[in-house]
Parts: sequence; structure tokens; C-alpha cells
Amino acid sequence: MASIRDTLPIHPSRATWIAGGLVLVGFSLLQVHPAFLLVVAAGAFGPGLLRELGWLHDQDEFQRRAAQRAGYQAYLVGGLVTFALLALLGDGGVRSAAPDAILQTILALLWFTWLISSLVAYWGAHKTARRVLVAFGLVWLAFNVVGHLAHPIELLMQSLLAVPFLLAAWLVPRWPRAVGVLLLGLSVFFFWFFHLHEIVGPTPLAKGRGVVLILFVGPLLASGIALLRDRDPDSDEAR
Amino acid sequence: MAPKADLRVHLRRFRKTRDLTQQDLADRLGVTRQTIISIEKGKYRPSIELALLLAREFACPVEDLFELVEGDADGLDS
Repeated sequence: MASIRDTLPIHPSRATWIAGGLVLVGFSLLQVHPAFLLVVAAGAFGPGLLRELGWLHDQDEFQRRAAQRAGYQAYLVGGLVTFALLALLGDGGVRSAAPDAILQTILALLWFTWLISSLVAYWGAHKTARRVLVAFGLVWLAFNVVGHLAHPIELLMQSLLAVPFLLAAWLVPRWPRAVGVLLLGLSVFFFWFFHLHEIVGPTPLAKGRGVVLILFVGPLLASGIALLRDRDPDSDEAR
Repeated sequence: MAPKADLRVHLRRFRKTRDLTQQDLADRLGVTRQTIISIEKGKYRPSIELALLLAREFACPVEDLFELVEGDADGLDS
């Protein structure tokens, strides 16, 4: 009989569980003192550093390779965006009211790129894209249920907007490239819909643009790219 | 630069012949099931050590498990 652990889509090591706990504890204690960010940092980067130093051996060669690839992709994306931000902020007409927002955006981008790259390595492009789309649909539904509980008609109409995401998730194994193009189109649409093009204006990261960009546009863009560059006709796991 | 020849992987066929699940094989070799999945799908090229361990497990030359083919191969068992 399969254990609960066997039913999980991924099997993190004990060190990864502890590291995840440190991240959660660190974030939840940030209200007490900002220094608890160091606990978050220990959880986020500690196991990787220990592995690089050769003091922690909890991953096999595929996991090590996936982590290194994810790290390299995070370096490329993070470096590119950091240079772009520096170029924008270096212009005399551009200002940043909150310098820490820049650092948070870069950190979030690094973490997000690493996460998506790891998911694609473990699950493949198809499964990652499907789960991203289902997550988008379900999060939209959850917000609607909470926001329109007292108005059934609005609840029904707004909830219909989740259908395209769930439909696209269903279509991923059938027409992966078409869905990939659709996801790229959706990310461009959200870019304009949320006025993210103003990121090249005088206040690049105002109104939480950085976070919206990473959380809304990022998953769709990354999934679309992963689907379009995937060569495998059957990306799902086989037993 | 990418190598001129592609790698075709026959691991799944060998594993099925022995009636092993991916998890069984992973446990025998001390790797994760995800590693076996990725090798079988041609998405991950194992190290020389792991390739030799696989060959020892199936008592065959490593070339029987991994074959170099000219041109575009999908990397998977036909």
C-alpha cells in the first residue's frame, strides 16, 4: 500500500522540509523584527550552500543537476532584470520611493525563476503548465467566492472567467503548442491590463507592479515558453 | 556546442522485461524515481557512474541501454 509520502508529487528531503519550515517561521515573525529575514535566508539558501560545500548529501545527481540549472536560469533572469532596473533608475527622470521594493522584486524574481525552472525539471513542461493554469483558475474562483458570496448572480458571472484557465489546462496535453502561444498572448494581455507597461515610466515599481508582474505574468509567460520549447510529445510521467 | 549524434535510451524496455517499476529500480540504485523517469524520457543524461550502475543492474553492456544515433532522434524507445 502506498504511503502518504508516495502519493505526493514531489518528495522533499528532511533538510528541505526543515528549510521550508524556517522560511515560514521567518516570514511569520517579520512583524516582530525585520532581523527574522535572516531566518528566511537561512531556510532559502542554507541547504544549497551546505550542498555546495559538500556537507549535505540529500540529493541525487538528477536533483543536483536540476538545482544547478534552476540556479543558472535564476542568475540569467535576475541579472537581466537587475541591469534593466539599474538602467531605468539611473535615468534622472526615474525615481524610486521605496528602495527596498527593488530588492524585494529582485529577490522574488530570483526565487520565482528558480521555482518554475525546478518544477519544469521535475514535472515536465506539460504538467507544470497544467498545474499553473489550474492554480490560476482555482485562485480566481476562491477570490470570487469570498468576494461575491452574498450576490449569487455576480458570483456565477465572475466565476465564468475561471473557465478559460481550466479549459486551457485540459487542452495542454492535446495541443501544447497552441496553449503555449495562448499563454504568451495572455501574459501580454495581463501586461497591458494591469498597466505594467508603466514600469518604464518615472516610478517603475510603484503600485506593486513588480510583484504583480512576477505573480500574474510570470507563471503564464514561463509556462508558455516551457510548452513552446518542449520537444517531448508525451511530457507526463510514465510508471 | 552540441554533439553531432543523439542519444537513444532503451532503459524502459529493459526495466519492463525485468518487471520492475521505476520506484523499484530507483531504490536498487539509490536514486529518486524522478531520475529514472527523466532518463527514460531522454530528458536527463545520467553520469558515467549511474550509466555503469544501470548496465550492471541489467547485466548488459552500457551500449545496450544507451545508443548513439546520427541525426535527430527523439531520445525515446520506439
